[in-house]
Amino acid sequence: MKKIKKILLVVLVLGMAGAGYGFYLYHKKPADVRALTANFELTASKIVADFNADETAANKKYLDKIISVKGIVTDNKIDTTGQATVFLDSGDPLAAVTCSFYEEEALSVKSLQKGTEVTIKGKCTGKLMDVVLNKCSIIK
Amino acid sequence: MKKITLVIICLLLIQYSFSQKRYFTKTGTVSFRAGTAVEDIDGINKSTTSVFDAGTGQIEFALLVKGFEFNSALMMEHFNENYMESDKYPKSIFKGSISNIDKVNFQKDGTYPVTVKGTLEIHGVKKEIETTGSFKVNGKTVSATAEFPVTLEDYKISIPGLVKEKISKTAKIKVNCSYAILK
Repeated sequence: MKKIKKILLVVLVLGMAGAGYGFYLYHKKPADVRALTANFELTASKIVADFNADETAANKKYLDKIISVKGIVTDNKIDTTGQATVFLDSGDPLAAVTCSFYEEEALSVKSLQKGTEVTIKGKCTGKLMDVVLNKCSIIK
Repeated sequence: MKKITLVIICLLLIQYSFSQKRYFTKTGTVSFRAGTAVEDIDGINKSTTSVFDAGTGQIEFALLVKGFEFNSALMMEHFNENYMESDKYPKSIFKGSISNIDKVNFQKDGTYPVTVKGTLEIHGVKKEIETTGSFKVNGKTVSATAEFPVTLEDYKISIPGLVKEKISKTAKIKVNCSYAILK
């Protein structure tokens, strides 16, 4: 009898731990990219050149990775919904780096000057025309 | 993949040879809701590229599947790995045309209803769709909005039995793009 009780107790504790872990996973927010260290630090020209040279290889290397990218601001815009985006020159007129920012970071985008050099950290989601980073913030 | 880039580049180049105005954006928003009463499932993509021709009504959208943002880490993982298989199918594309583009006066501010018809590619599956939306002309910018349902099964996105209750069989897609004239 005692043994059964003990087993039941263990099962109960394990069950609760499992449920707790499940609850934790279920409610876990996506990682805050601002708090993560960059996997790669490079220039806008370099990342665009890598994607142009071999998109499959570049996807393997950069997708879902945290990238710190340095480049010249060609345009910055904040739309009516508060969504902020910065475009970095890559030297290739048909492909820039699009950096889509966290909404809370919109203010820092507003004060950016076109033509200045900036370093931006974000998560690489791939290449359409531009190489796209989302969840961006300004490093420098 | 390369083809898509080429098509977009060609479209860009063609506009130099014709005087017809093209409108363009790289910061369009596409969001979806696929939740049920049990749970909300929302994703949003803020870097959708789109171009349309004010003369012919041709319109295209392209987005990176990995660019969808979620409120939950687990949802994001399941979306990418189990449902959309974004490593295998990194892009979603719509190519079509606006059948009543001649009813839109780009010279006059206002809101115009439009009908769009074309091919939507999700998860590697292409399907014809038709939907209505609106064009809002404001000076030199045009905002486009549209909302339409997508049946997951049509695009071979299978939902395991365990979470059938939570995920809707159809996802409601919302498109919101603010275009500027392509120079």
